[in-house]
Amino acid sequence: MSAQASSAAAAHTTSKLQAFLNHPAGPKTIFFWAPMAKWALVAAGIKDLSRPAEKLSLNQNLALAATGFIWVRYSFVITPVNYSLAAVNLFVGGTGIAQLYRIWDYKKNGAGLPKLASA
Amino acid sequence: MSLRLLTWFKSPEGRQYFFSTHFWGPMANWGLPIAALGDIIGKDEETISGVMSPTLAGYSMIFMRFAWRVQPRNYLLFACHATNATAQLVQEARFLNYWYGGGREKKHPIESGVDSVKGKVQEEVDKVKNAVKA
Repeated sequence: MSAQASSAAAAHTTSKLQAFLNHPAGPKTIFFWAPMAKWALVAAGIKDLSRPAEKLSLNQNLALAATGFIWVRYSFVITPVNYSLAAVNLFVGGTGIAQLYRIWDYKKNGAGLPKLASA
Repeated sequence: MSLRLLTWFKSPEGRQYFFSTHFWGPMANWGLPIAALGDIIGKDEETISGVMSPTLAGYSMIFMRFAWRVQPRNYLLFACHATNATAQLVQEARFLNYWYGGGREKKHPIESGVDSVKGKVQEEVDKVKNAVKA
């Protein structure tokens, strides 16, 4: 009885794992790995968030914010629908917006003021 | 050929494509290969990152396969990443030639000469330091 129940549970987990493995956008397909590559690229660029605002590129961050949000939409209109790709691009768009805010804030409040260290 | 393309541009299907994300997604991505091509033409080898260029080349090869397999097949995205993969590989070849293939010695003989003298001086200084310690 209990052996039967455990084997049933095992079958259930196996089928869950198999469902994941054999999903149309699962790890056996490029649809899983392309967003993974993008995550790696995002991780490599994450140190830019602590970069001084005067050294940020306005054009680059405008482009990143725009492509990020365009690609979130694209992830939903393709087959198979790619939630992982949507997530990574939401993150790209979000960091782009955050950097744009930092640039705007620096231009409004930071520039032209004497440096704190020299005061 | 061009006439057929023009009629397609004007057709409802054509216009639908140009207002869709299937067009604007890869369009937004063209910044990547354009920037790389600009660097090949106009920038010194000093500006090339020896790690970032091959990383981006690999990334673009992954997305070439993605563009081919996704439905609907995205030729514009495929072309974008094929261009970028090629451009990044060219950049990496430039980087390797510059630092390890004698490119720097040819382009900046004085700087590279000064660097090699600096290296030799440092070696001698280290030898003296070690001798003093021993």
